[in-house]
Amino acid sequence: MGAQDLGVLSLVSLLVFLIPVFYINRRVGLFIDKTIIFSIVRMCIQLSFVGVYLEFLFKFNSPVLNTVYLLIMIAIACQSILKSSNLKVRKLFVPMFFSLLIPFVLILFFFNAVVVRIDNLFEAKYMVPVGGMLLGNCLRSSIVGLNSFYSGIKKEEKVYLYSLSLLCSRIQALKPYLKSSFLAAITPTLASMATIGLVSLPGMMTGQILGGSIPMVAIKYQIAIMFSIFYTEYFSTLLAILFSLKVGFNDLDVLNQDIFASKN
Amino acid sequence: MIQMSSVDLNRKGKKIFSDLNLTVMKNEKVLIQGKSGIGKTTLFKVLLGFETIDKGSVTINGNRIDKDHIQDIREQLFYLSQDIDLKNDTVGALLEEIFIQNHKKPLESTRLNQLMGVFELNVTLLEQQVKELSGGERQRIGLVICFLLDRPVWLLDEPTASLDDIMKKKIADLILGQEKTMIIVSHDDVWKNNPAVKIERWI
Repeated sequence: MGAQDLGVLSLVSLLVFLIPVFYINRRVGLFIDKTIIFSIVRMCIQLSFVGVYLEFLFKFNSPVLNTVYLLIMIAIACQSILKSSNLKVRKLFVPMFFSLLIPFVLILFFFNAVVVRIDNLFEAKYMVPVGGMLLGNCLRSSIVGLNSFYSGIKKEEKVYLYSLSLLCSRIQALKPYLKSSFLAAITPTLASMATIGLVSLPGMMTGQILGGSIPMVAIKYQIAIMFSIFYTEYFSTLLAILFSLKVGFNDLDVLNQDIFASKN
Repeated sequence: MIQMSSVDLNRKGKKIFSDLNLTVMKNEKVLIQGKSGIGKTTLFKVLLGFETIDKGSVTINGNRIDKDHIQDIREQLFYLSQDIDLKNDTVGALLEEIFIQNHKKPLESTRLNQLMGVFELNVTLLEQQVKELSGGERQRIGLVICFLLDRPVWLLDEPTASLDDIMKKKIADLILGQEKTMIIVSHDDVWKNNPAVKIERWI
């Protein structure tokens, strides 16, 4: 059993709805045609590549290859997180890498070994897509966390320094910023956990059902994955901020201005 | 107590200190005078480790301002900044937090109320948010914190600037009567007219 294959022509047929979109854009003076085309082309190219190398990974199903693939994904995620947080990749890559790697490996293997109980923990069919989902979500939460932490302190540097002089402890002075940035990072996931199923069916479930799973199985997987996403986000965001402190602040606990990618 | 010798400090290509020497003995009260922009506030920032010097040496109680000593040094110094940059919370909660963190015991309300009285602050102020305070109230709350923490060295940046004349005199006398080491920056005459201070003129 499995989903019916789609022909290239059927995919092309989806372009039909771009005609009214472009028409309306022109009439209302919304000049986003270029951006739309650019995004569509990128999506198609990127997903085609994923299709090719996933087939490749699944065919060989080699633990080493799967691991290397995930490590590369983590490295790309780091790069993207730091860039979006307006932080210098060169300075913060290593702490960021480990803050993703540690919770990610832990939760992924727990998912595979204890929850799904597969014999081969490196089974591409589980490791690659589940890993991808976890990373994709960490991306968002780490960006929000790091961004609000460092921009918050930068904006209120005088207040931070004054707290430091009164409290004499970096961690105490940083606490309000740690708290608020962490909340900002985690809240969207909690909100989506609380409304999941009411409004939208998650992509993973849709995929599984189309792939031939019965809905109950798909839902169990979805619950397991929501737990895993939440835990990975929670720990990776926390570690991302904590691991970055050594680079982010100097020996005298003052914010290092040179960690920011651009001045604004 | 505080010893600065041959200190150079440049910031953004501008010379702030060149060959600065300053010695403050224990319990001495030094008033620094000079026009604005001459680096008086920067001096405090150097002592607190918020700015690093380019050349020379700074020691506090014989210790250099470095990674190993910075916490000790900060525990010795009370800094009353010009704007009293407190984070936003209710005044009462903030005082409580600062006190517990420093003295590892809860703040007694009798002591707090007594200090609020000394600085002519109404106790209802404790319920207010920091950002709702006026400049003069902030300044006096800063001084309440100063007395609560009771640290040995006081760095006071314009401590009486937003107070009226009667309060200026009263508070300057009160502060200078304490057995503490002090560096004061102020344009108010009440400080320089007091015999307890040693005037250091920067030109």
